[in-house]
Amino acid sequence: MTRSETITGFRSSTAAASAVDVVKSYGSGSTAVRALDHVSVDLNRGEFTAIMGPSGSGKSTLMHCLAGLDTVTSGSVAIGDVELRGLSDKKMTALRRDRIGFVFQSFNLVPTLTALENITLPIAIAGRRPDREWLATVIDTLGLRDRLGHRPSELSGGQQQRVAVGRALASRPEIIFGDEPTGNLDSRSSGEVMGILRQSVDQLGQTVVIVTHDPRAASWADRVLFLTDGRIVDELRSPTADSVLDRMKRLETRS
Amino acid sequence: MSAMRTVALRNLRAHKVRLALTLISVLLGTAFVAGSFVFTDTLKHSFDNIFATSDKGVDARVQARHDYDPGVPTNLIATIGAVPGAAVVEPQINGPVVLVKADGTKVESNGAPSVGGLWATRSVNPIPSFVTGHAPRTDHQVVVNDGAATKHGMHTGDQVKVVVSNSSVVDATISGIYRSSVNTGGYIGALFTRGEAMRLFTDGRHVTAVDVAAAPGVSEQTLTDRIAKILPGGLQAKTGTQVRDAETADISSALSFVNYILLGFGIVALLVGTFIIYNTFAMIVAQRQRELALLRAIGAGRKQVRRSVVFESGVIGIVGSALGLAGGIGLAYGLHALLDSFDLGLPSGGMVLSTRTILITLILGTAVTLLAGLAPARRAARIAPVAAMREEFSSPSASGLRRRTAIGVVVAAASVAATVAGVISDKAGAAASFTGLGLVTACVAAMLLSPVLARWVIVPLGRIVGRPFGTVGQLARTNAIRNPRRTAATAFALTLGLILVAGIAVVGASIKGSLGNIIDNTVQADYIVTTNNQLYVPTPAVAAVRTVPGVATTTALHDLNVSINGKHDTGTAVDGPLAGSIALDMQHGAADITGHNLVISKKLADSRHWAVGDTLRMSAPGRGTVTEHVAGVYADNQLAGPYLTGGHVWRQLTPRNELTSFVVLVQAKPGTDLATLRSGLEKATNDYYVVTVQDREQFKGQTAAQVNGLIALLYGLLGLAIVIAILGIINTLALSVVERRREIGMLRAVGMQRKQVRRTIYLESLLISVFGAVLGLVLGLTFGSLFTRTLRNAGLNQLSVPWGQALLFLGLAAVVGVLAALWPGVRASRTPPLEAISAA
Ligand SMILES: Nc1ncnc2c1ncn2[C@@H]1O[C@H](COP(=O)(O)OP(=O)(O)O)[C@@H](O)[C@H]1O
Ligand SMILES: [Mg+2]
Repeated sequence: MTRSETITGFRSSTAAASAVDVVKSYGSGSTAVRALDHVSVDLNRGEFTAIMGPSGSGKSTLMHCLAGLDTVTSGSVAIGDVELRGLSDKKMTALRRDRIGFVFQSFNLVPTLTALENITLPIAIAGRRPDREWLATVIDTLGLRDRLGHRPSELSGGQQQRVAVGRALASRPEIIFGDEPTGNLDSRSSGEVMGILRQSVDQLGQTVVIVTHDPRAASWADRVLFLTDGRIVDELRSPTADSVLDRMKRLETRS
Repeated sequence: MSAMRTVALRNLRAHKVRLALTLISVLLGTAFVAGSFVFTDTLKHSFDNIFATSDKGVDARVQARHDYDPGVPTNLIATIGAVPGAAVVEPQINGPVVLVKADGTKVESNGAPSVGGLWATRSVNPIPSFVTGHAPRTDHQVVVNDGAATKHGMHTGDQVKVVVSNSSVVDATISGIYRSSVNTGGYIGALFTRGEAMRLFTDGRHVTAVDVAAAPGVSEQTLTDRIAKILPGGLQAKTGTQVRDAETADISSALSFVNYILLGFGIVALLVGTFIIYNTFAMIVAQRQRELALLRAIGAGRKQVRRSVVFESGVIGIVGSALGLAGGIGLAYGLHALLDSFDLGLPSGGMVLSTRTILITLILGTAVTLLAGLAPARRAARIAPVAAMREEFSSPSASGLRRRTAIGVVVAAASVAATVAGVISDKAGAAASFTGLGLVTACVAAMLLSPVLARWVIVPLGRIVGRPFGTVGQLARTNAIRNPRRTAATAFALTLGLILVAGIAVVGASIKGSLGNIIDNTVQADYIVTTNNQLYVPTPAVAAVRTVPGVATTTALHDLNVSINGKHDTGTAVDGPLAGSIALDMQHGAADITGHNLVISKKLADSRHWAVGDTLRMSAPGRGTVTEHVAGVYADNQLAGPYLTGGHVWRQLTPRNELTSFVVLVQAKPGTDLATLRSGLEKATNDYYVVTVQDREQFKGQTAAQVNGLIALLYGLLGLAIVIAILGIINTLALSVVERRREIGMLRAVGMQRKQVRRTIYLESLLISVFGAVLGLVLGLTFGSLFTRTLRNAGLNQLSVPWGQALLFLGLAAVVGVLAALWPGVRASRTPPLEAISAA
């Protein structure tokens, strides 16, 4: 697969999520901001993708649009084979619940629920019972077996984020999105969380997309997309922290 | 400081909804306080005006010293007129009357007097003019006041029937409609010639009072002194000023009751409102922690922060009470209009807004608001500057709650002690005081302990109610106890309301039950003949009842106003057998009132130290003395009163115009068909218009209806408490929703449907309000029962707990909870999922 193919590519059946010619503008007239400027991208199944770019480049916007949290101005977005455009709020919500997992930067958990209850929250909301075996696997991967009865306030930041990852994994979504999931963590906790996400891709076949600032975090991914001014301008496969940093520097000097 | 003031004012403006809700809660409380004063001031002013005009010309009034005495002898009128300095003498004759129009409809008012009297040809006041027609010239003519004529469609020339208690029904023609100076709503005045008025309303030998106007140059005091000198014992002369002052004082004391009730509403509203105000400020402070910390970090002192919050509550207090003042005037106006539409006899007139009303309202409203804002202000001042740097904030410390709970437990113990003292106390007064103290301390304890109680009630309740809703139910339950202080303060509005309502409900039901009990145990008659208005059963109607076929015996009961051994005691005289009509629980002796026997109540026996066998001398002024013997002592019985004696005592000692019966008990002959008897009784009394025939159940129902005023008050209180509680719940939920925006956004992001978000809020609200209601009901029912118990010697011998009503209130609370959550719920469900990620 060449680079140009991936960027401009057609919708392939292997894509867990895809964007075609997506434009997202905020405001109107002279104050209008174009956060995404004709972006097309396929996020492949079973792959770990990191999105990087300078602040304000549109990373979060891209992720929100892909995850059905925000609507696009033009273009189309799909999760698996479901086109998001025109979905009712109800269907969109159900789609997020059943087919998408989320890990946010902060405020990830319901403070009044225990770790286990937080992990099974989307399943419980859907009125389903969790798959016990799968849940056990997830919990073991997280290494949180002895913390399941604790409330978020009784957990460290890293543990909380691991619970959030657990929640994203528990319902076996098609794709997991994380907007700076390690943004508030120290480097050790950050490494733990990225390790778990990596593991979920390698061992559980999960698809993961994260936005990050941190080249070290990005180096856990299979593929790094670089965004500048609402456009995907570069891509890196099998990144290392150094190669990511290097590419970032080049982008900055160019702009 | 001025910068802090700017921050405070900006902050108020930035939270319009919260501001509005808080203002409304201050407004509601103060409106009731202001309204109660405006309403009573207005009424008092109007009544004062009426007395000032209607008794304007009176310089001296002669009347009996005691109102149970017959009045002023007619032969004294000329003597009074001959006193030097007396210019005009006007006898006053009046008594209750019911007019019946030609088509048979009764001319009735709900509460306003319906009074018959004398058309004075010479009066101390200006003689009223006529709208149409002329003064009564013959005994069969009557004049009617313009207000009643218009209201009831009576015209000059119309035929009417005149019903009074102690005469047959009289036919009369309306000879004129006069302009009355007494323009109270619904007042009915029917005036006759002197001869007819004497026949209808007096014993023929006395008039009610004699008014005198002084000749020019004679002061009212001089005139009154001169008249007083010639009066026999038992009569007195008062100056016109004294007469008017006494009337004003009577009205004031009657109105003070109304004033207290309305003020009570106001205090309850304010008290309940206090919790809303407190909650609002507590939440404002919690939400602004970071901002306040920042202010502290850049150099604002503790005192400045505290003052800025206090300043905010002060502004709300002043604006809220000013609005409340306006609302109070509206409330008084509305209340007046409402009551006027019931013909309760209220005078009309402009609203009176006194300086005192303005001051009390503004000061009370502002003080309460400031007080409620104090604790949050102090909490705000304690925020450390470093909090500005921290990411998350901890909720109020558990140690604060621990201290609060400890104090609550102490107060609760004191409450239990006071209540127990009330229960074991023998004296009714002391028992009531202790129970009252117990109630007040219980309210305080409940307030202090409710954060802890909230957990105890809401957790199990939430598990049951929330079960069908799964995770939504669980979230609702955990949210409801997330901030126990806030939940407690929110629920307490309902708690307070329901304490009052449930308490009154118990007392009301017990009164009804006890009355029913007394009637069941005392009245044995098949039918009870009474009237349901101011008149007694007309004397000829009593005779008519006796002749109805199927009647075995009749027992007529009469009021007896006599002195016994020199001291006045009102009792009951009985014509007819006691056995089979009235059952008495005899403690000593026999239930025998034949011959010269009488029976007395235990209470009377104890207070006058009388016993079976004692001889009592019963007397009335100018009517001699009857000697009776105590044949028995019965257990106190509200229906029987202090004593029962034979009808002959009554006939000898009572003036002719008061020879009336307030009830006639009818026993059927064995084997008589009761329905036939009833229609016979109805036919016999039909011509007297005001008489009703009831069986025992109906009679109980009519008696119970008298308790309905209390019930109406109860629903008024409930309504008010609910309105304020709704405001409080909306306020709390709306603020919680704002606080939890990110959390709700996150829930939406991970797949919670809007409907589910709404349901979570509804359920949370339902749990909070049901908790408040449960706490209120428990306290209200408990203390209502205890208060009923303290009244057990005053005739409240049956405790009835209205469980059905309590359940209804609980259901209502649940509905209220959901209703209050509608708007916050919809708002919450509209939270965009992005809220969780963006807006860091
Ligand atoms: N809700 C919004 N309203 C207006 N402009 C927005 C909004 N969200 C993002 N933007 C703008 O869109 C651009 C991209 O933002 P974002 O996707 O958050 O960038 P990144 O996550 O890469 O820092 C920025 O210029 C930002 O100011
Ligand atoms: Mg971003």
